[in-house]
Amino acid sequence: MDTLLQILVNGISVGAVYALFALGYTLVFSVLGVINFAHGALFTLGAYLTYLGVGGAVGSNGALAGWALPLALPFPVALLLAGAGCALANLLVEAIAFRPLRRRGAEPLLYLITSLGAGVVLVNLLQIAFGAEGYALPADALGDLPPVLSLAGARIRSVQLLLLLVCAVVMAVLTVWLERSRGGRALQAVSEDAVTARLLGIDSDAMVRLSFALSGLLAGLSGGLVGLSVSIAGPYFGIVYGLKGLGVLVLGGLGSVPGALLGGLVVGLAEAAVPGDLSGLKDAVAFAFLFAILLLRPQGLLGRPPISKV
Amino acid sequence: MTAAPPLLQVQGLSVRYGSVLALDGLDLEVHAGELVALLGSNGAGKSTTLRAISRLVPASAGGLFWGGRPLLPLRTEQTVKLGISHCPEGRRVLARQTVAVNLELGAWLRHDRAGVNDDLERCYSLFPRLAERRRQLAGNLSGGEQQMLAIARSLMARPTLLLLDEPSLGLAPRLVEEVMGTLADLHRNGQTLLLVEQNAEAALAIADRGLVLEAGRVVLRGSAAELRQNSGLRASYLGG
Ligand SMILES: Nc1ncnc2c1ncn2[C@@H]1O[C@H](COP(=O)(O)OP(=O)(O)OP(=O)(O)O)[C@@H](O)[C@H]1O
Ligand SMILES: [Mg+2]
Repeated sequence: MDTLLQILVNGISVGAVYALFALGYTLVFSVLGVINFAHGALFTLGAYLTYLGVGGAVGSNGALAGWALPLALPFPVALLLAGAGCALANLLVEAIAFRPLRRRGAEPLLYLITSLGAGVVLVNLLQIAFGAEGYALPADALGDLPPVLSLAGARIRSVQLLLLLVCAVVMAVLTVWLERSRGGRALQAVSEDAVTARLLGIDSDAMVRLSFALSGLLAGLSGGLVGLSVSIAGPYFGIVYGLKGLGVLVLGGLGSVPGALLGGLVVGLAEAAVPGDLSGLKDAVAFAFLFAILLLRPQGLLGRPPISKV
Repeated sequence: MTAAPPLLQVQGLSVRYGSVLALDGLDLEVHAGELVALLGSNGAGKSTTLRAISRLVPASAGGLFWGGRPLLPLRTEQTVKLGISHCPEGRRVLARQTVAVNLELGAWLRHDRAGVNDDLERCYSLFPRLAERRRQLAGNLSGGEQQMLAIARSLMARPTLLLLDEPSLGLAPRLVEEVMGTLADLHRNGQTLLLVEQNAEAALAIADRGLVLEAGRVVLRGSAAELRQNSGLRASYLGG
């Protein structure tokens, strides 16, 4: 039986990644009022790019078999580059799966199909390039940091601390940017009322692209972090995270930034509380918990009433 | 006669919403320094006219010119950059932002920090009630205060032309007077305005000229003084 401290550490570090990931959904949702179902695939892409960045080689089943970067970057640099790559990839997803529909004023339901399609294509490309096998980031990716620290009887992996640190910093920066900066306020204005934002001179198309880029960045960062702390189970490993991220999004309240944070922590802690010998039931417990909360609060923990969208 | 082109020229403008012809060949000019009132009852096409000028709706025929330059190819954001500020129907303040942030966002395209700060103070002195509530969320303001905020926010762009859509809607008579008084002051200080109103009496009291729309067509136009005397208009809009 894990100690309470152990459960807290495990739950909070996993929950922080869920929150980071769900925040990506939230950004796009709050601006467009639709969900980008390619988000899970971007998470996967982030993990693979990070793997390549730290010098990992492609396994024997991929089209790129044996290929590796000529140099091995330090993990933080690889992670940032992977995030940037995912930001670019999400801009492409926006241009292909969202913009043409938006121009025609299409039904929100259609974005579900086009973004899901973009995600499937992305996952298939990864499978072609890397094969279906799993990958693990090299154990020395964090350099000289000791792999495990002991604190009051709890085993804390330094990866967990890194997860917490990165998630906390990214979320703090994002929140301050959204609330305090000119650009962040403009993004919020578009999210509240796109027509009015345009009448103020705000280029709402540019803000939509910005939200996709940021969202892709968050997906890529969380993918790279999970790749490091757990491993990459194969091209489809983003799907479970994609679903859980959606759960977190709904749990926190659609479009709410603090809600995504709270939702991530709640799901992470619920999973961590599942005893080790029942670990196969983690996902079931997490979703059951989610289901129970939504029965009590259909609008999510911090949800607010719906508003009109672009 | 000096033939300075009008600031804004609308030529034979038509707008369709599907099968509804909302504007049918509208001609309209606004010269620098004028206050022009665009009148008409519900569904006449007044808001559509403003939405076409600020490029929120496509034109199906006709032309729009800004100092002789075609406006039709532009996007909404670009018309704001040119100096057109559209204060929309129903206020549409950003309810989740404070009064101050709403005003700051009104100056989104400006980069002269000092000038923006001056204009903020000018707005607060024009509408002292906004100054008292600058840290409050705009969604918590009363209807009248939201209307003032919407007008002030449009002014923050330092527009060459201010388009106002029914600023008196839903306001108590005393507040209507206050808002119209403010518009008259702005006009006196050289601001060019195109004012859409159902309250013809209030609008014609401060306007230089007016047009009356009916089913997307101009049925009457003239100086404000002429229109105030017009018996047809008196019967339909001025309550006798
Ligand atoms: N988005 C739309 N889709 C379809 N028809 C519309 C739309 N907007 C306006 N209309 C129609 O176009 C016509 C003109 O509408 P508009 O809003 O310009 O009228 P208005 O003069 O501003 O009226 P009000 O004083 O009630 O605001 C009306 O018949 C209206 O029903
Ligand atoms: Mg109207």
